[in-house]
Amino acid sequence: MESVLALGGFVLLRDSVEWEGRSLLKALIKKSALCGEQVHILGCEVSEDEFREGFDSSINSRLIYHDLFRDPLNWSQTGEALPGGPLGALQAMCRRTHPGPVTIALDSLSWLLLHIPCTALCQALGALSRQHAHPGGGSPAEPVRVLGLFHEELHGPGPLGALSSLAQTEVTLSGTMGQASAHILSRRPRQRPAHQTQWFSILPDFSLDLQGGPPLESQPHADPHTAPVDPTAHVTFNLHLSKKEREAKDSLTLPFQFSSEKQQALLRAGPSQATSHIFYEPDAYDDLDQEDPDDDLDV
Amino acid sequence: MAAVATCGTGAGSTGSIAAAASKNNVTSFQRKGPRASGTDSGCSRLVSIAGTRPSVRNGQLLVSTGLPALDQLLGGGLAVGTVLLIEEDKYNIYSSLVFKYFLAEGIINGHTLLVASAKEDPADILQELPAPLLDDNCKKDFDEDVCNDKTPDSNIKMKIAWRYQLLPKMESGPVSSSRFGHYYDASKRMPQELIEASKWHGFFFPEKLSSTLNIESCSLTHGYRKLLQFIQNVIYEEGFDGSSPQKKQKNILRIGIQSLGSPLWGDDICCTENCDNSHSLTKFLYVLRGLLRTSLSACIITMPTHLIQNKAVIARVTNLSDTVVGLESFIGSERETNPLYKDYHGLIHIRQIPRLNNLIYDVSDVKDLAFKLKRKLFTIERLHLPPDLSDTVSRSSKQDLAESSKLLGPGCGMMAGGKKHLDF
Repeated sequence: MESVLALGGFVLLRDSVEWEGRSLLKALIKKSALCGEQVHILGCEVSEDEFREGFDSSINSRLIYHDLFRDPLNWSQTGEALPGGPLGALQAMCRRTHPGPVTIALDSLSWLLLHIPCTALCQALGALSRQHAHPGGGSPAEPVRVLGLFHEELHGPGPLGALSSLAQTEVTLSGTMGQASAHILSRRPRQRPAHQTQWFSILPDFSLDLQGGPPLESQPHADPHTAPVDPTAHVTFNLHLSKKEREAKDSLTLPFQFSSEKQQALLRAGPSQATSHIFYEPDAYDDLDQEDPDDDLDV
Repeated sequence: MAAVATCGTGAGSTGSIAAAASKNNVTSFQRKGPRASGTDSGCSRLVSIAGTRPSVRNGQLLVSTGLPALDQLLGGGLAVGTVLLIEEDKYNIYSSLVFKYFLAEGIINGHTLLVASAKEDPADILQELPAPLLDDNCKKDFDEDVCNDKTPDSNIKMKIAWRYQLLPKMESGPVSSSRFGHYYDASKRMPQELIEASKWHGFFFPEKLSSTLNIESCSLTHGYRKLLQFIQNVIYEEGFDGSSPQKKQKNILRIGIQSLGSPLWGDDICCTENCDNSHSLTKFLYVLRGLLRTSLSACIITMPTHLIQNKAVIARVTNLSDTVVGLESFIGSERETNPLYKDYHGLIHIRQIPRLNNLIYDVSDVKDLAFKLKRKLFTIERLHLPPDLSDTVSRSSKQDLAESSKLLGPGCGMMAGGKKHLDF
């Protein structure tokens, strides 16, 4: 799980109805906050109080919450709502230049996808992840981490594919028997993507408890109904040779068998043959007596 | 095509004089000026440009794609004035490598580059180009690569078919006599001085957008329109279309566009199936092809076709491109553990080869091709499939093998189809 936070860039957290991801998101936020980073949260799906619930006051003081839940369409006109709507809020985050590593948590990309077009969201995410490469003051690369929560059941394969192709790390939540697991796919640039499955559980104070493996009472793998049939049984020809048969086969002289010198010469002088050689190897029935040409006629 | 046209209009007089001279061989009239006859024998009318050669089949001017193995499959190289479309593999590892080989080949040959991307800064892309293998070192390294590769196999020396020991699997090996294709070391970076000595133009789409991301500015044709204008400006200003005939040395413009059609360009064909501006990408390709045909340029485009939701768009895009090559890597798929594919990193599908000034295709008869990336060599080899066994013997393990060895095209029913072979 450390690799999720170690790599910068965009982390896509895919959850579903059975395995919810907000607690993992909060756990990762807590971890970043404890490392001393700045954490910005764009909250869309739950209220601020509900989101901050469970964090102690030291962490809560580090979180900078941008609330889109209370008044997303700015109906109250009090000026508290974020200007520009959801897209404006994202752009504001792009423009922010603070020194130091930053984590941005988007409480739900699904909510954002319902309100802004997918291409605009992808471009904004690209701009956010790229921010560390072009900081305002020219300081060396400060990692910007964008954690996005994505409810994959709400969307078709299109947005999911588009967002996965942008993500540096993709965490898919699943599990068995009440134990959650995270399948982490990390794509380092120009390297093979690495898969990892991590079993974990989240404690009430949103700290991560990593477990070694699946729970002990995992069900046994069901046997297939049909036993695999061996195709090499009941064949009319012999597929396996015994040792004696193999020796007999090896010692058989093949027709047109050349001596090894001739073979090597032919192999070596393949492409360019400056001079032509004549190789004569007498056959078993060849008669070397030049004087009588009819000697082999058996008359 | 394009070269002959520009030769005809721009340097026509020189060409005709030289042609007359070669025909008669007796004239004493020597025209002062750039000699039209280059190093290409028998093609004295074509202007010789560094890094190009005429095709042996129809005289079409070709450039190397940077991968000699791919050049051979495409009939000698990529024709000048055409588009090479690479369908990206799932994690965009090998397609970006092919993209970089193309650009590196341009730098080595001294061509001008135009790199367009919506994801990475073109300057960063150029920093990551692979280093070229120089002739004196590469033969030694290639031999050691081949030896390392061959040692498990060559223990079984063939007894009956021993003459085939010499036969290469596919044309592999640095052709040291020609300077057309070069080999690159994927583990090293191109030296900085070569990059700085080269001329390149970069188009980084997020910079060209206005600083505020309005929804209007994400309209589909906006990014493509800007890119087309940029390409057109470069072609016109640098004279690749013959517009400034007093240019002393003709050169090729190599255009590389990365991940066209991805949402970062503002195109939503990867996001939805019924998108509003589904013709934006096809219009772009059509206009781009028109630009390329009238200039001395070659273009490589990588496209994440596995993300495109509407399959009809893929078919249209294929028709609008000239050469289409699909890469399918085994990473993350069930084929990775398949023993059939253990030597290779992925499959390569040649989806389309153009017929340029020709009635027949130049396609090789080998359809099952796989590639592997060794450190210094990107080889494409013929994949030997196991024999197609009949349906009567039921076997679970062998059936998976035979089934997964079938090449899956984008339009075919995938594993959802029944497992039985149909016998008519």
